[in-house]
Amino acid sequence: MDVKLYALSTCPYCRMTKRFLEEAGVEYELTEVDLLEGADKQAAIDEVKSISGGTSFPVLVAGDEVIVGFNKQRIKDVLGT
Amino acid sequence: MNDRPAPRRRFAEGTTVADLEAYMVPFVRHLGFKLNTEREFAHEVLQSEIEILDRDGDVYCPCRVRTGDPKEDIKIICPCIPFYLEQFNAMRKCWCGLFIREDVLDGAEMMGVIEEPEGPIEVRAAHVEDIAASRGLRVKIGKREIALFRTGNEVFALSNLCRHAFGPLSEGYVEGYEVMCPWHGWRYDIRTGHTDHPNADVQTHPVTVRDGVVFVTVPKPTE
Repeated sequence: MDVKLYALSTCPYCRMTKRFLEEAGVEYELTEVDLLEGADKQAAIDEVKSISGGTSFPVLVAGDEVIVGFNKQRIKDVLGT
Repeated sequence: MNDRPAPRRRFAEGTTVADLEAYMVPFVRHLGFKLNTEREFAHEVLQSEIEILDRDGDVYCPCRVRTGDPKEDIKIICPCIPFYLEQFNAMRKCWCGLFIREDVLDGAEMMGVIEEPEGPIEVRAAHVEDIAASRGLRVKIGKREIALFRTGNEVFALSNLCRHAFGPLSEGYVEGYEVMCPWHGWRYDIRTGHTDHPNADVQTHPVTVRDGVVFVTVPKPTE
């Protein structure tokens, strides 16, 4: 399953999510939206909006599932970790 | 945006976590919130805000991204509670969990999951003493206009809009348990929303009063 994480470098829940995924040995593609610039940043913001309906982080995409926030239980359920 | 010139810094150089705490906590108290009881966590969030202040000029929410549109971005300057009050009341915390509702005892429960609950929620609406005895008080919860009325120790909440011509019931005349619409005198029972005019009762909402604060329960947080 492809796992993608949209995060902000400043966000405590994003850090928790990253830590959790790393500890669980999950491979994921990370986009730190606040560290992007110009058109790339705008494109990432638009992507997050279209996926989650908002601009709040973290946004974890695992297959068809979208998890906003560090919801440990849902991440476990979805990833089967 | 990162490719723009650095914006004007809104706080003095050398602002610390303790300074932010001292400035924010008395303000959020007016909104029914307090600092998360998990102090280490609260400190981590505020420390992130200091980093954001140094980079972006103001204390933007660490969990949300600036869009570059100033009108949107003012809504994510911490504390952002006034802009999301219904949602945060429903979640019982602000988005990050830096602030939690006064009635939450254990802030640890409020960390992590950030999803808005479905279904009815209780929202802080007013102080009892804000409601004049012979008049109502108009409050807005989400998109709803609600009229609060008080008789003695009892407080009632009903839709503010008279079903006749949408007159504001909160400005009506109260006699006992009855309010008369200020526009044409239609009468409603403030306990039940009932009127003698056919099919024209107004919606009522459950009310509880705790420590002089009026809480109204509405069907959904953001409707």
